[in-house]
Amino acid sequence: MLFVIVLSLIIMSKTSIHRENITLLEKIIRDSYTPLQSGVSGVKYNWDGWTIAFANKKNQSRTIESLKKQNNNLVMQNQKLLEYRAEALRLRKILAFAEPKRDEYNLISARVVARNSQNWYKYLVIDQGQEAGVVKDMAVISPQGLVGRVGSVSRNSAQVILITDRETAVGAILQKTRETRGIVEGLGNSSQLRMVNIPYYSKIEKGNIVVTSGLSKVYPKGIAIGKISKVTKEPSGLLLTAQLKPMTDFDKLEEVLVIKDYFPPVEALEEDAADG
Amino acid sequence: MDRYVRIFILILLPWLAIFLQSTVFSTYSIKGTVPDLVLIFVAFFALLNRVREGTVYGFLCGLLEDLVLGRFIGMNALAKGLTAYILGKLQGNVFQENILVGAFCVFLATCINALCIFLMSLVFLPVFHVDMGLVAAIIYQIVYNIALAVPLYLWYYDSSNYGRLRHYGEF
Repeated sequence: MLFVIVLSLIIMSKTSIHRENITLLEKIIRDSYTPLQSGVSGVKYNWDGWTIAFANKKNQSRTIESLKKQNNNLVMQNQKLLEYRAEALRLRKILAFAEPKRDEYNLISARVVARNSQNWYKYLVIDQGQEAGVVKDMAVISPQGLVGRVGSVSRNSAQVILITDRETAVGAILQKTRETRGIVEGLGNSSQLRMVNIPYYSKIEKGNIVVTSGLSKVYPKGIAIGKISKVTKEPSGLLLTAQLKPMTDFDKLEEVLVIKDYFPPVEALEEDAADG
Repeated sequence: MDRYVRIFILILLPWLAIFLQSTVFSTYSIKGTVPDLVLIFVAFFALLNRVREGTVYGFLCGLLEDLVLGRFIGMNALAKGLTAYILGKLQGNVFQENILVGAFCVFLATCINALCIFLMSLVFLPVFHVDMGLVAAIIYQIVYNIALAVPLYLWYYDSSNYGRLRHYGEF
């Protein structure tokens, strides 16, 4: 037993958490799982498709009708937003406002092939790795909001550490007021996050949307994290703590987008112009 | 030849367990909780083999999990090695043929393993957020593990005494 303890402690001291890359042995073992995990994920994906196809036709036509209406509304909303975007860019240029903003991402789309095999860690395995240009610490998003960051990469897969992981902390602000700064922590629960270090005078209330603050090097600014569901005062009375419901439904997540790099809007505009 | 088959199965079991946990069980988890099949196999092996063998097997299974996780290598190895060691010490005091013994061992193993990982996370990890949800997750895992342990123990005990997992001298 003593031998096992000593050996474990030696290995632990050699493999600190801030490793740049995983070892060759870890890459080999992980890549041995990827083809099988992709296979199972593919079977599940097709099975879900068949199940939907054979589901009640009446419900389907009702869903199609509602989606058509929703789509029309979104198209109109999108046109308005494009107008606002152009206006914002013009104003930003006039004011020489050089702060980088979330606007143009260079994305890699990936499929979720596996999930955490243990309850202590919350992660996803995606089917894109080094070959697709994925590297450690790239931010990962879904159309709904923030998913997490790339923790480690092998040749054909990457492990995405979720924002719900107990080791994750993300700098955050309120979307509406842009004032309240805090830290969003994972609690190992896919339906709950915790925002801490909120000053007691903050105008924070249930239903507010929390976005990334952009203060870290990993997450770009303005990505939706979650919605405030409860605010409580800490015993000291100087700080508030809030419970958040994540924007992303982690249990149903099948595809994600890895942010390879992102450009400030002015750069993106110039690139668009260059492309014609 | 039978000895090599036994070793092959002993390697295959944790490998397959991790695969199932990350695919089938994680998709159909209970309140986000997945069972720890690797721990179940470690507990059974520790109960039905010598203390030293059990400890080494627990350590190696944990190491495999650590290598797949790619984070802090050694944490699961130490936790599972220690769990197997403690269970191995129970060996002479229990009736291995009783199915409830298998279930009780898995209950004990889940508690010891969770305590080890929790304490190591607090000591070694720079950030580890704690709340009461952790206790709930451990309770769910205990229930899930025991539910799987009962049928699995029937097969494991049978195989360890009369089948492919029967002991042939050395490890």
